[in-house]
Formats: sequence, structure tokens, C-alpha cells
Amino acid sequence: MSAPVLGIADLWAGYGDAPVIRGLSVTVGQGEVAVIIGPNGHGKTTLLRAISGLLRPSGGRVELDGQPVQGRPPEHIAQLGLVHVPQGDGLFDQMTVEENLLMGAFPRASWRARRRALGHVYAMFPSIGGLAGQRARTLSGGERRLTALGRSLMRPSRIMLIDEPSLGLAPVAIDTVYRAIAELKAAQTTLLLVEENFTHVADIADAVHVVEMGQIVRSGSFGELASDPVVVATYLGGL
Amino acid sequence: MLLTDLVGIAVTTVILGSIYGLVAIGMTLIYGTLRILDMSQGSMVMVGSFIAWGVLVVAGWNPVIAILLAFLATFGLGVFTQLISVQPLMKRRDAIDFEMVTFITTFAVAIVFTNLALEILGPQQRNVTTVVAGGINVYHGVNLPYQSLLMAIVSIALMAGLGLFLARTRWGMAIRAVAQNLDAARLMGVPVGRLYPLTMGLASALAGVAGVFLGGLYFAYPQAGDLPLLEALIVVIFGGLGSLLGTVYAAYAIGLVQAIAEVFAGTTWSLPILYGVILVVLIVRPQGLLGKPSEARL
Repeated sequence: MSAPVLGIADLWAGYGDAPVIRGLSVTVGQGEVAVIIGPNGHGKTTLLRAISGLLRPSGGRVELDGQPVQGRPPEHIAQLGLVHVPQGDGLFDQMTVEENLLMGAFPRASWRARRRALGHVYAMFPSIGGLAGQRARTLSGGERRLTALGRSLMRPSRIMLIDEPSLGLAPVAIDTVYRAIAELKAAQTTLLLVEENFTHVADIADAVHVVEMGQIVRSGSFGELASDPVVVATYLGGL
Repeated sequence: MLLTDLVGIAVTTVILGSIYGLVAIGMTLIYGTLRILDMSQGSMVMVGSFIAWGVLVVAGWNPVIAILLAFLATFGLGVFTQLISVQPLMKRRDAIDFEMVTFITTFAVAIVFTNLALEILGPQQRNVTTVVAGGINVYHGVNLPYQSLLMAIVSIALMAGLGLFLARTRWGMAIRAVAQNLDAARLMGVPVGRLYPLTMGLASALAGVAGVFLGGLYFAYPQAGDLPLLEALIVVIFGGLGSLLGTVYAAYAIGLVQAIAEVFAGTTWSLPILYGVILVVLIVRPQGLLGKPSEARL
């Protein structure tokens, strides 16, 4: 495999004195869709926040295209091509859907191409196009998630981190969101998703990593993990 | 009630409301974005007044130069104030009572500015030439000085310009984004380390321009910013902390109450009546006209 887009080695991070991520290592290759699954409270969100710089890691390395970025501010890491769709979608609630999308194109080079990017996003998610003038706080959960995903396409990215795309959504909305993610995969986007279980990721995951107590405890293809009785019992609920 | 009274009230409301709005809107912008009650805004009014005096009286130049120079100088001073009194605390904002500490640090800077002005320029009140002389007779006996008309026009234009800047431009939208969701704005690549000083510079520049006009109305002296600062605080809280539209409404509402009180009760009673009304409104609606309890707004 070529050099990884994202390389994480012995990463430590947490809040106050309590480490949540304890020496975690993982890599994501070009065009790969990596999924991290694990129970709530075992560090999935903390991991993504430590990668994108919202949380300052207390130790270890985060490399983006071979360049160390740990400890850099999130706006700096974002400008290097890392896109993070955070838990709760991170929308600007008093702004319209279109203004939210435009903010996704904040870096100067992307701002110049913002009209073209808007057209691209509306073509990809026609349902958002109809909501362009609506304020974000009036959107449904599914519309919010799609707006957040659409916003992440407003600038070119090297890798996109998505925090629990299915969280809090009705089943029909989850389907829509995962169809959108499948389209991202089809467009060769490098993705790192976290989910509580792997119910929804069967068709898209190239690699699945299981996180427990802030460490990766199992890694493999979806097929490998789906045939492991322990993993299945824990994360597929006996499906 | 006579038509003359009505016209007089309308004219006074527009003039007072515009200047109140211009002084206060910067405070709202700063509170909405940085969560700071910037007590140095009065200093910007004071500096603007002295620039008006220096340009118009000492140098004898055009008022347009005074406005431009005040805008640029107080922009720079606002950036400087942010860098020395707020930025060093930014990294520790979760570990301290950020709102209260910056309230004190910006107040400290304001006191230093006042005393520097006292040291350099002396305590005397400098008469600033009327920026433009003359006036028009709007209606029987209701006189509208050109000075006041110009002040209202420039204030409204600057407030509208600020609105357009925030609504349409890349950096203006970024200011709103930071006010609404700081983490998400940073994930979009917004460099808050540069955006915060820019915001405080911009707000200070508006107060600086207001100072040019207030200098023309009153005097330029080291404490010239004290009363405008207090008035701006009242407008900002009355409008709902952090709400730009609320600030504009509040500025004109306060102008209106003051104008009505002046016409019917005279100048002596206008301020007590005004503050009585504000007291009643805030008891009924503590979050102000358009404020929502502790929530991002801009």
C-alpha cells in the first residue's frame, strides 16, 4: 500500500488527568474507508477530536500525509485537508443551509470555487437544495446530517472523519445518510468513520477496527470480524 | 399633541438612536463573538473625539479625513487592546471566569488610555469645531442641524455596512460562525487567532467614528468616553446581550423614550424617565428585547 493518508501512533488523549485514548495506533490508506467501532465511552469521539486538533493529544503522533500535526490548532489541520464532521453535526444554527455550506469553503482557494462546489453538493444531495434558504436550527435530524456531509464536500479533502453518521436518526434517514457515504466512497474519498456497531457499514468498510478502553483491540476486514463470534456477540447483537 | 411635537420627536429619535446604535453595536459584536464586555470601547470614543479635534481644529482639515483617520486609528487600537488584554487569556478560557476577567483587563486598558490622554493632552475640554455648520428647518420650528443629519446618515450607513459585511463576506460570515459554534468554525479552517483581533478592531473603529461626532456635540477630553461607554452598556443589555438587531432596536427605542420625555417633561426629567422605563422593561424581560438566555446569537 502507498504511504498512509493518516497515520496515528501511540496516541494518548483525554480530559484533565484521565486519559481516554491510551496508546492507540491506526493507519488509513489513500481511498480507504476505515471504520472504528466500539461501545460508548471508550474514546471514539475523543479519538476524532484528538486527530482534528479540537483536543490536544497528551502524547503520540498524528501524521497527515506523513506530516506530523499533533498539537496544531484545528484550523491549521483543516487547511491541510482534514475534514471532520463532528458529533452533533457542528452546524451554525442561526445560518441558512446555504450559508453553512459556504462556510465549508472558507479556505481561500476553496472560497474562489464556492459557486461550483455549491452546484456539486446540490446535485449530489438534491434534498438539501430545496432547503438552501432555511435556517439550520429548523432542520430535521436527517437534514442536519446531510447538510453537515454536504458542507464537508465544499472543499477538497485528503481525509474525512465522520462521527457516528447514524446517531439519533430514524432508520429511513440512516439509509439516506449511508447512501450518501457510499457515494463518497464511490468518489474515492478517504474516510474514517466511527460507529457504535457495524450494522450499517457492511457494504462500505474496507477495514474495521474495534476500540475498547482507548485502544484498538481487533482489526480486520468486515468479513473477518463478522465471522468472529466474540465480536459478533458484542457488536452485532447476535444478528 | 401638536404635529410640531411629533416631528420633533421623530427627528430627535433618529439622531439619538443612530449615535447610540453606532457606539453600542461594536460592544454587541464583541460580546457575540468573544463573550467579552469590552470596557475599552469608551476609550475608542475618546480617541475619536481627540482625532476630530486634532484634524478639524489644530490642522484645519476636512471632516472626511477626521472620520477616516479615526476609523483607522481606533481599528489599530482595538486590535492592540485585544492582543494585550484578551488574547493571552484565550488559551485558558475554560479554566478561568473568562467573561469577568476580560471585563477587568479591558477596563484596565481603558484606564491606562484615559491617563495617557490626560498626561499627553491635559485635562482641559477641547472644543471641537462643528463638523458641518448650518441646518434645515424641517417643520415649523423644528430645526435639524446638518451636523446631526450627517451623524445619523454616517451612523446608519456604518451599521448597514456592518450588517452587509457580516451577511455576505468571507470574513464576516466567519465572525458569525465563530459566534454560533466555535469548534465547528475552527474545523472549517477559520483562524480564530486572527479573527478575534479583527473583530475587536472593527468594533473599536465604529466607536472611534462615533467619537468624531460626539466630540463635535460635546468636547474632546480624557474622560469623553465614560458616558458613551455607560450608555452603550445600557443599550447592549436592553437590546439583549449579543443580538445585533436587538441593539439597533434598543438604540432607537431608547432614543424614542428620551425624545418623548424631553418634549413632554423637559430635559431635566428626560433621563430619570428613560432609566425608569429601562428598569421596568428589564424587570419584565431580563434577557432584553431580542436576547435569548445564554445562547449564541449574531
